[in-house]
Amino acid sequence: MTSHHRFVPLLLPAVIIFLSLFFLPLVGLLIESFRVFTPGSIGSSAGAAFTLSNYTELLTPAFAEFLLETMRVSLFASIIGLVFAFPLAYWIARRFSPGLRAIVVSAFVTLMFLSILVRTYALELTFGAAGPLRPILLSLGIFPNGHGYIEILVGAGLLHYIVPMATLTLLGAIQNVDPRLFDAAQVLGAPGWKAHLSITVPLCMRGLLAAFLFAFTFSISAFVIPMILGKGRVLFISNLIYNRFSEIADYPSGAAISIVLFVFALSIVYVLSRQVHRRWAQ
Amino acid sequence: MGPMINRSLDKGFHLIGILMMGLIFCFLIAPIAVTTIMAFDARSYLGPLPPPSFSFRWFQRFFSDDYFLKGLGTSVELACTSVVVTLCVGIATAFAVERTEFIGKEALISLFLSPLIVPPVVTGFALLLFLSQYGVINGFARLLCGHIIITLPYTIRATLAGLAGIDRTLIEAALSLGASEREAFWDVTLPLARTGIISGAIFAFAVSMDDVSVSIMLTDARTYTLPIALISSMRANFDLSIAAASVMLMVLTLVLIVILEKSVGLNRAIGEGVFRQQELQ
Repeated sequence: MTSHHRFVPLLLPAVIIFLSLFFLPLVGLLIESFRVFTPGSIGSSAGAAFTLSNYTELLTPAFAEFLLETMRVSLFASIIGLVFAFPLAYWIARRFSPGLRAIVVSAFVTLMFLSILVRTYALELTFGAAGPLRPILLSLGIFPNGHGYIEILVGAGLLHYIVPMATLTLLGAIQNVDPRLFDAAQVLGAPGWKAHLSITVPLCMRGLLAAFLFAFTFSISAFVIPMILGKGRVLFISNLIYNRFSEIADYPSGAAISIVLFVFALSIVYVLSRQVHRRWAQ
Repeated sequence: MGPMINRSLDKGFHLIGILMMGLIFCFLIAPIAVTTIMAFDARSYLGPLPPPSFSFRWFQRFFSDDYFLKGLGTSVELACTSVVVTLCVGIATAFAVERTEFIGKEALISLFLSPLIVPPVVTGFALLLFLSQYGVINGFARLLCGHIIITLPYTIRATLAGLAGIDRTLIEAALSLGASEREAFWDVTLPLARTGIISGAIFAFAVSMDDVSVSIMLTDARTYTLPIALISSMRANFDLSIAAASVMLMVLTLVLIVILEKSVGLNRAIGEGVFRQQELQ
């Protein structure tokens, strides 16, 4: 408490950077979201009047559709990701030899680190409308340019990141579960699947919630994946923000959508991490 | 009767499990394999797999395209500058946090990490409004501002983790043996915090090289990064030099992972940040 205070000035650079490049811009964003926009201009003019119309125009069914599509695809991708990641993590933790486990874990870390752009391009090249799967898809009666298929493709893009991320998150959770509990349940007559449902899954609940939190928040703020795989047919909220900026230069409306996404993402983080902490505290 | 039913059900689940595992491995690996094969395709058009012959033509094409090369140059310059800046700021911050007790320290740390939970498009858009309002029009300066704010949380978190792992008595021993604070910092603290600093630098570099959502808001016609160049030519035509660039970016990822494994150890690096790495990209 005494002489150590001389290190406090070392905090200054970070404080200045955060104030000037993060907090002030966010405050500016909030103010801009209440400004009147004159079509044809770039952004709001200096000293433009304040209005709520940038928010009220978001109460239309058209915007709700974008919001719902973002939510729906994100939710499906997160849940399917966990459904695959959980048994995968269980196998890696319990069935694989230590050598194989090390190799698979490194492979998954590499997959997670893989550039989002490379991942998205690779998925488009493989599963997209011009990819090698085209004849198979067409013979199955699936049109690779249909809205349904494009939506699945966007979900697949999210899944390609979610699966390795969730597997690595769950690996630690599963390793912390005492395997003797599962053995005991089986000795006492529970079939394997029931023992997993009543022992392994509940004991990994915290890991599952954390993995879901990462997956869902990653998905709802995704930008590149829906931009490339969605081909303008499937738009996430992030893409909408970018379009308001790049196509019509309507900054106030883009700012209002940004504030909505911001509040939305933060509330999800808040609610879910509170759940995680509460369960952890038990 | 009962146990037999149970066991056959278990066998069924086991089989489903193996099938799921196979499916998901194929799904994860197939796009990477397809992209790598296509990048070496000798044909001049996008034809069906497998290509009849292989060549380096798409790599040559990438390196003879000024548009890509300029983007690559900006990206590397931007990533290196961001790493240097955020590493210095990160080390200073972590050191001050580690050595000082004050009220609201935890809150300050979470504030420093908060850009991780804000959707990057929102950060980019806010920065775009702010910088144009204050007349910052230099493309590189704008991009650098964006890249600093998205990479700083990684270096702060990693160096904090690195410094927290240090046995405080070692520094006190150096001080009591006559070293000045400065010497203790350079000769004891920094080398011991090495792993955190390295993983922070690698995360920051990777995040900066990969960013699209923030850069796309701040770029201009003359200053753009490689990912932005790739995206705009992706929308224009499906040119396989993008596949060649993807293969090179995959190799870069592998190199970064190998450096991380050799210098820090993957398990430790995961603990220091990979998990929450894209906490919220």
